Amino acid sequence: MANPKDSSISSGDSTVIGESIVINGKLTGDEDLTVRGRLEGELSLTKTLIVEASGVVKANVEVKNAVVSGAVVGNIDAGESVELTKEGRMVGDIRSPRVILVDGASLRGRIDMGEVKGERSEKGARPVRAVRSVPVPARPAARIGKSKLEGKPSPPPPPSESRSGAPVPPLVAAGSRRRVVVKKKAR
Amino acid sequence: MANTVIGSSIVIDGEISGDEDLVIQGTVKGKISVKESLIVDRSGVVEADIETQNVEVSGKVTGNINATDKVELKSDCRVIGDIKAPRILIADGASFKGNVDMDVKEP
Repeated sequence: MANPKDSSISSGDSTVIGESIVINGKLTGDEDLTVRGRLEGELSLTKTLIVEASGVVKANVEVKNAVVSGAVVGNIDAGESVELTKEGRMVGDIRSPRVILVDGASLRGRIDMGEVKGERSEKGARPVRAVRSVPVPARPAARIGKSKLEGKPSPPPPPSESRSGAPVPPLVAAGSRRRVVVKKKAR
Repeated sequence: MANTVIGSSIVIDGEISGDEDLVIQGTVKGKISVKESLIVDRSGVVEADIETQNVEVSGKVTGNINATDKVELKSDCRVIGDIKAPRILIADGASFKGNVDMDVKEP
């Protein structure tokens, strides 16, 4: 039945919207969708949406996975993950258990990753939290305060020694790690 | 060959326009206007008015087709609607109901 032309066209179960194509309306489906053109309206897929660099999606999106390298204006509700690559631009809210923002991606909107359970403990294991939770300059000050109340002038010198050595590098580290950029994980 | 493919499980309700070839394996309702070719595959279902240069139908089309060059109805297609094009080909086995207008421009 299937002639060679048909088989070449339907190779791989995926839909491509080419660069010059504009779709206005509602799109639903159960397969991967690659957008290189323009899509406005509503979009719901049970699989992956890929918005390529030339693609523009102005729609509320419901998908399983989304990879955005182009522009999205609207909210994305993903069952599994949303990734904004370094060329990705988005205005709208993201709701997904996994959200990946690569350095260079731009986003204006809110991110809702649902109830953060396992991920929090993973992040807590990182050194970032440890550095932040130890505000180094505060300790010597507290000690000074206590020592003044207790009327013992001897403790202050040791903290000042530790000040010269320890505080500076952690401060730099804390600042540099405070960026909102979440590094891309291997998919 | 074609850049844009609407896959078999995709349903579009609205308007599609563009300057390139479009292959439809899924369902499109509304309106289609592309500059180049439109191919409605065997699994494709179109309930829309179509404006394009070339159309090749192997699936189902309900709606009017307006082509500037050619309309080809392949053997398994089912088309309901009016066709307006300078060249219209209907293959053996195709089913078609509607008017045909081959108002050829004078050379």
